[in-house]
Amino acid sequence: MPGALGGGGGAVYDRGYRPYEGPRGRRGAATFALFKASVRRALGLRRSWRQKVAPFTLLAVVTMPAIVNIGVGYVTRDQLTDRIEIITYRDYVGVSSALLLFIAIVAPDVICPDRRQRVLPLMFSRPLVGIDYVAAKVGAIVAILFAFSFIPQMILFIGNMLVSDSALDYFTGHLDVLWKVPLSVLVLSVHYAVIGVAIASLTDRRIVAGASVIGLFLVTSIASGVLVGDFRPGEGSAAALINVLALPLYLRDVIFLGHIDRGSPLGGVATGGLFALVEFLAVVALGLVVLWRRYRWTEH
Amino acid sequence: MQTGPLFRLESLTKRYPGVTALDDLTVAVPRGLVGLVGANGAGKTTMFRLMLGLARPSEGRLEVCGIDVAADPIEVRSRLGYMPEHECLPLDQTAADVVATFGELSGLPARDARQRASDILDLVGLDEARFRPISGFSTGMRQRTKLAQALVGDPELVLLDEPTAGLDPVGREEMLALVARLGTFGISVLMATHLLDDVQQVCDHVLMIDGGHLVVSGATESLLERTGVVTVDVGSGREALITGLAALGMTARVVDDLVDVTIDGDDDLDRVRDLVAELGLPLHRLTTRSTSLDEVFLRRAGESS
Repeated sequence: MPGALGGGGGAVYDRGYRPYEGPRGRRGAATFALFKASVRRALGLRRSWRQKVAPFTLLAVVTMPAIVNIGVGYVTRDQLTDRIEIITYRDYVGVSSALLLFIAIVAPDVICPDRRQRVLPLMFSRPLVGIDYVAAKVGAIVAILFAFSFIPQMILFIGNMLVSDSALDYFTGHLDVLWKVPLSVLVLSVHYAVIGVAIASLTDRRIVAGASVIGLFLVTSIASGVLVGDFRPGEGSAAALINVLALPLYLRDVIFLGHIDRGSPLGGVATGGLFALVEFLAVVALGLVVLWRRYRWTEH
Repeated sequence: MQTGPLFRLESLTKRYPGVTALDDLTVAVPRGLVGLVGANGAGKTTMFRLMLGLARPSEGRLEVCGIDVAADPIEVRSRLGYMPEHECLPLDQTAADVVATFGELSGLPARDARQRASDILDLVGLDEARFRPISGFSTGMRQRTKLAQALVGDPELVLLDEPTAGLDPVGREEMLALVARLGTFGISVLMATHLLDDVQQVCDHVLMIDGGHLVVSGATESLLERTGVVTVDVGSGREALITGLAALGMTARVVDDLVDVTIDGDDDLDRVRDLVAELGLPLHRLTTRSTSLDEVFLRRAGESS
């Protein structure tokens, strides 16, 4: 019941309640809204500056090698016949352990408060089901990890192109990078995001979730190192597949080289690339099953 | 204007292992402000979960706003707002962000959601606090924020679970006034509570359940039966009135500075009025006393058990 009160020079308006007559989305719109809200939360947007430190420090850290590489290339562009390449596109995929720390911080931050602060009933009273929630949360982490891994690669690519003798020649000579980098970065992002979110969904305490994420990666990494032991190039072991942390890097090798790098712990293992792919799919499927069960909100 | 019942239950039963939360409920409830009354564990929260499509009936069916919940729970949820009893707000976010986000989750475009969040927070009295983190809010402000997120999607029906829980008397009155206003906006309300005074104050229909069974469903006014007592406020002339009534063979006593007179029909009521006039007493109030919903609930629950 809109109305106005007051006299003299001013008036106080009671705008009352206005029904909403505009467009209204359903599951897709709700899922996208949750995705956006999760991205904002992960990046610390609309939150205090402290929440912005982790994501933007990570972005700075992962971008640094590209900038250094380009800077060196620019400074030495007229001095050397062979360009100095500090880091290759392949090495740059998953180069930063800061990424691991980032997942351990951000995945729990995006997941745990919803359960701890009991926000889930509010969310599921909307046109949203458990699978939409999982898609939005995993999608948000994948999107950020992809962006934070892909943006530095693009900076590196564009920088290398600009400091090369012929930008066009560099571009046409490295066209494969344009699909290998996004594909390998996508694999890496999905892998880490699903693991991080799935583990975070098992507890409502961020510290426990973060420690569990790091613990899983460290324990499997150490166990794999012990089992594989010292090895010569091309004489790796299938035990390297225990290392969940390094799994995307084996797939990266397959994408860039067509086979597992001989210098890696899985190098020389027959059909090691296929094993890595199967394990990757199994890990992602397991993570999604865990998430589906945790957010299967409607009873049967 | 929507027509048809607000919701309809047909032999609705919900069983959990070892307990029947709702047992064979059949009722159609009209649109408007509806109170869902019952003691703790009566089945109120189960009823809300079923209405939201978050639980499935063991038997029977449930229709909300004309939609079969089992057939299309998403459509039902897009028409409902829900305010839980428990704490459920992200404490590190501002009220504006929270309400806008839930507006988007209700399917509104981002721009519309932010505009509506602003309007609704204004409506619930949080216009000046909307950019503050919820962690700094009082219980009353949090309850208002919870109500705002339930309203931001412009629902046909809002489910309010104990909306006055934890509020001081002033906060409770303000919350009930807000709930009462929703009816004037064309929004139906289903308010679950065990505080029958709250229901009596704002609801025009009452649904009482006890131990999963339907106790009674009906218009609030129709449930409040006359007790055969009128309350008279004649200021300081109480004793004179009682003496006069005794002379007429009527029984009266002082209760809380008012005079309660036992009557038997409208003729007695006229005699009380005439006596007050004859004695020259100021008549501030003359009201019939009805049973309270507490009395109705206790009696009906006793009959049905």
